[in-house]
Amino acid sequence: MSSQDPLPKWASKPCVMGIDEAGRGPVLGPMVYGCLYCATSYLIELSSLNFADSKTLREEKREELFEDLKANESIGWAVDVIDPRELSSKMLNKVKINLNEISHDSAMGLVTKVLGMGVLLTEVYVDTVGDSEKYRIKLSEKFPNVKFVVAKKADSLYPVVSGASIVAKVTRDRALREWALEETAENMHRNFGSGYPGDPTTKCWLEDHKHSVFGFPTLVRFSWGTCTSYFKDVVEVLWESDKVDEDGGTAGSGKKQLRLSNVGITTSKRKSEEIESNAKGRCKFFQARKLEQLTHF
Amino acid sequence: MNTENERKGEVIVDFDFGSDSVALDLSSKVHQLPCAIKFDGPCSVSHYFKPKSTGMEIDGLTVEEAYFRGRKLLGATISLPEGYSGYVLGRKSLASEHRQDSSPWQVKAKFENITYWNHDTLPSQDDMFQRSFHWLTVAQALHKPVTAEDLESASTALKNMS
Repeated sequence: MSSQDPLPKWASKPCVMGIDEAGRGPVLGPMVYGCLYCATSYLIELSSLNFADSKTLREEKREELFEDLKANESIGWAVDVIDPRELSSKMLNKVKINLNEISHDSAMGLVTKVLGMGVLLTEVYVDTVGDSEKYRIKLSEKFPNVKFVVAKKADSLYPVVSGASIVAKVTRDRALREWALEETAENMHRNFGSGYPGDPTTKCWLEDHKHSVFGFPTLVRFSWGTCTSYFKDVVEVLWESDKVDEDGGTAGSGKKQLRLSNVGITTSKRKSEEIESNAKGRCKFFQARKLEQLTHF
Repeated sequence: MNTENERKGEVIVDFDFGSDSVALDLSSKVHQLPCAIKFDGPCSVSHYFKPKSTGMEIDGLTVEEAYFRGRKLLGATISLPEGYSGYVLGRKSLASEHRQDSSPWQVKAKFENITYWNHDTLPSQDDMFQRSFHWLTVAQALHKPVTAEDLESASTALKNMS
């Protein structure tokens, strides 16, 4: 989703863009990256539009500001909605991609998209994700013609980023509100709450939608630590990729995400034989195909 | 008698579905997952497990995608080789087991295809699951009864060589 063509005239003059995210912390629903851009010459006027960090605004105010900025012809915007299924699966892949990387990729995707539309971006302001200097270098190497400012609390410091935070937050809230649940089980309801792990409504929803075999509906980010506490009494599931994980040792960054690789699973080597058949002692043909002789069942 | 056969590595299965029932057809409902689920029993699979076509085709396989426990699965539905069928076996009820001549196993359902899933890897003909079917060809070469014609052509071939 983004503001529509044709490309406004001001876009061929030097432009500034802000990028911000919404829904990084929640255990359910999509994560949204949003951006807002305008001509550098419009910045002073932009400051007068009362965009503030979306977190400090009430929901109705945010919705109102989003409608205003959509109607404003001097402003362009775009969003990238990252599905919870994509977040979970990337973080639980054989080769795991952590949330920072997913975030970086999304932000870079937005820059690529806006540049691709023909907007002359000269400066981009981004909130920090991970180490700010490393992030700045990563962005600058990918887009050498753009000056990047990576700063903590960018959403309250720079009006373009505040605007982007409104775009992202409103999109995230709407996406969750209108989420079409893929599962067709009975007794499912939509009182998601904010999606934050600490929100009592969200906690209730998680408790109500726990399933002993499937875990949760796919709206939930299975790769979040929060899930582990709900999975204490669900059916154990063992994955081949976790076995590899353990043997190789997930060295380095012992961060939140990595601990989550064994969501609902107790991995141990003794279990590996239960995951796949082995053909120990049989000839190569069978070993290569993991064909085991079964005499009792 | 049954125990003796089982000791020899054979299992007797009763393919007579009984008077009241025909074996349930589970074609397109049998899935092979790349994980071990430590559970046996009924489960509302179709409400939670929603395979979708990706529109991709590789090695002649139509690639499907699904999610399980937050992981992305990529899979393909393959027909069982000609002349073979898949069966779901179950123990017979106690009542019928008292019949002296019957085996304890009975066919509960059958299937003609299976969808196998890889975690995060596109399906291909090199997948272990696909390769396991090679055994059928090898087994046939090893165990097919030799006919008089086979022997004749083999001896002719030998003669020609000398």
